[in-house]
Amino acid sequence: MLGTGRNGPGRLGGRTRAYARFLRDAFVVNLKATLEYRVNFIMQFFGMMLNNAAFAAFWLVLIGRTGAVGGYGFSDVMLIWALVSTSFGLAHVVFGNVRQLGRIIMEGGLDVYLLQPKDAWINVLASRTVVSAWGDLAYGFIVLALMNGTNLERLALFTALAVPGALIFAATFAAAESLTFFMGNSSAVSSALTEFMLSFSLYPEGIYGHGMRWILYSIVPSGFVAFMPLRVFRSLDWGLVPLLYLVAAAYVGLSYWLFRAGLRRYESGNRMDARV
Amino acid sequence: MPAIIARDLSKTFKTKVRPSGRLAALRSLVKPEYRDVRAVKGVSFEIDDGELVAFLGPNGAGKSTTIKMLMGILRPTGGSATVLGLDPAEDRVELSRYVGAVFGQKSQLWFHLPPSDSFRLLGSIYEIDDDDRRWREAELIERFGLAPYWDVPVRKLSLGERIRCELAASLLPSPVALFLDEPTIGLDVVAKREIRQLLAEAARVDDTTIFMTSHDMGDIEKVCKRAIIIHHGEVVVDESMKALKRRSLSRKYVGVRYASPVDLELPGLSPVKRTPTAASFEVDTSRHSLAEVVRALASRGDLEDITVEDEPLENVIAAIYETRSGAEAQALGLNASKGAGAARAGEAASA
Repeated sequence: MLGTGRNGPGRLGGRTRAYARFLRDAFVVNLKATLEYRVNFIMQFFGMMLNNAAFAAFWLVLIGRTGAVGGYGFSDVMLIWALVSTSFGLAHVVFGNVRQLGRIIMEGGLDVYLLQPKDAWINVLASRTVVSAWGDLAYGFIVLALMNGTNLERLALFTALAVPGALIFAATFAAAESLTFFMGNSSAVSSALTEFMLSFSLYPEGIYGHGMRWILYSIVPSGFVAFMPLRVFRSLDWGLVPLLYLVAAAYVGLSYWLFRAGLRRYESGNRMDARV
Repeated sequence: MPAIIARDLSKTFKTKVRPSGRLAALRSLVKPEYRDVRAVKGVSFEIDDGELVAFLGPNGAGKSTTIKMLMGILRPTGGSATVLGLDPAEDRVELSRYVGAVFGQKSQLWFHLPPSDSFRLLGSIYEIDDDDRRWREAELIERFGLAPYWDVPVRKLSLGERIRCELAASLLPSPVALFLDEPTIGLDVVAKREIRQLLAEAARVDDTTIFMTSHDMGDIEKVCKRAIIIHHGEVVVDESMKALKRRSLSRKYVGVRYASPVDLELPGLSPVKRTPTAASFEVDTSRHSLAEVVRALASRGDLEDITVEDEPLENVIAAIYETRSGAEAQALGLNASKGAGAARAGEAASA
C-alpha cells in the first residue's frame, strides 16, 4: 500500500543526516523566534549573566575570608560555575522544551509531534529554545576567558566537556518530566530534581559525604556535569572525555526508554495549542 | 485494499473516582480508585483510497479518540486499525510520512514566525529536499493564495488565514490521506467556504483520501461523499451522503405569503408558523402529495410568494444524535455499523 507514497523515507540518505538537518533547522527556527523580540532577548541574556556574576562576587568574598572550601579555591569554584552554566545553558538552548515536557504531556500537546515523521522525544525537546539560557551558555565561556585567557586547548576541552554535561542535564530533566505519564503530574519531582542538581553542582565536591556522593553520581548526576569534568579540565586529561560521553549516552538512553514506556500510556487532550 | 480499516476498535480510559467525604478523600490519597470510561466501543468501518468521509457525532461521542487511534497518537485497548497498510500504533512514525493532519485546535506552525519559516522546518521534518520543498511551496502558495501573508508572523494572521496555512502545511509532504479534526472550528462563513473549497480541490487534484470530523453541516455537504456517524462510542450510521440527504427529502418545508389575510385550513396539515397573511408547513411527503399541498395553498388566496425547501441535513443528524445507541439507531431503520462495502451496496441497489 505504501508503495503509492509520494514522499518516501531515506531520500536524503541516512537517518543521522536527516536528524542533523532537522536539529539544525529547528535551532535556526527557534533562534529566529527568539529574535522576534530582541529587547526581551537582550534583557534576559544580560540579566542571566548578571545573576550568575552576583554569585561569583559572593564566592570571592567567602573564599577571601575562609580560604579554600571543600578543597576548592576561587578559580575552581569559578570553573565549576562556568562548566555547569554552559552545560545547563546548552541543554536549554538546544532542547528548550526539556522542562516543559511534563506540561506538554499533561495537556495533550504531544499530538502535533506524534503526527510528524521524527522521533517524538527529540522533536518535542528541540522545538523550543529558552531565551535566558543563551546568557548561561555565554557566561561559562566568558568566565573561562577571564580565568584562562585564550588557551585554545583549554577552550576545546571546555567545549568537549560541556556537551556531555548538556546531554546529562537534558536527559535527567526529561526523565523527571516523563514521569508525568505515570503520575499524572510530575512537576513537584521535576522542580525538586532541577533545584537539587543545580545546587549540588555549584558547590565543591569535598563538602559532600560518602553517601551523598553516591547520589551525586546516580539519581542527581551533579558529579558527571560538574565534579568529574572539573577534574578532567584541571588535569587536561583528554583520556577521560570519552567516558563522560559514554555516561551521557547511558543517561540519554535511560531517559529515552522512560519516555517511550510512558508514551504507551499517553492520553492526549483537546486543549487549544500553538507552537511558540 | 482499503486505505483505512477499523475492526472493533475500542478505547477505554481510566478515570480517578472523586471520593465523597473527608475520610474517603484521605483514603483515596493512599489508594485511589479508578473507573473505566469506554470512549470508543468496537467501531468498525473501511474507507477506500480517495474516499471523502465525514466522521460525525455529538461532543464526547468518540470522534477525536477514534481519529487519534487511526493516526497512532493513542493506542487502542481493543480491536485493530490499519491505515495505508500499516498498524498506526506500531508504525506511527512511518505512517506519518504519508498522512497529513489538520487539528483545528492544535497548530503545527510557529506562532511567532511567518509560515515560510515553519514550512522550511516542516521540509526537514518530512525529509523533503530543499528544491522539492521550494517547488511544492510555490504550488501551495499559488493554490491557497498564501502570498500576502507568507512572511507575516502567524500571531498576526486571522484565524481563517492561519487555518489556510495549516491546511497548506499539512499538504506539503503530499500526503496520501488527510485527517482533519474540526478544521473550520471558529471560522466565519467566508473563511469556512474558502477552506471547504480548498479541501475539495486538494481531494480532486491530489486524489487524497479525506477523513474529517466536523460539527458544521456545510463542511460535510460540500466536501464529503460518505458519512459515518458515531454516538456513545458506537457507529450508528455509515452511508453515503446521498442516502443521508434522501432522509431529508421525505420532509419538505413549504412557506406561503398572501397579499391579504386568508383562511388556511388544510386537512391533516397544521402550520408550524402562522401570521394572518403567511404560514409555513412541514410536509411529510410519504403521507401527503407535495403537488397537492402546493395546489391547495395556491388556491386559498392571492399568492405573493411560495417556497419549498428540503429539511436541513442538520435536523436529520440531530435526530440521529438523539438516539441513544447503535441498537436504537438500527431499530429506527438507520444503517448502523455496516461496513463501507455494505453501505455502498445498499446505496447502489436503491439508486
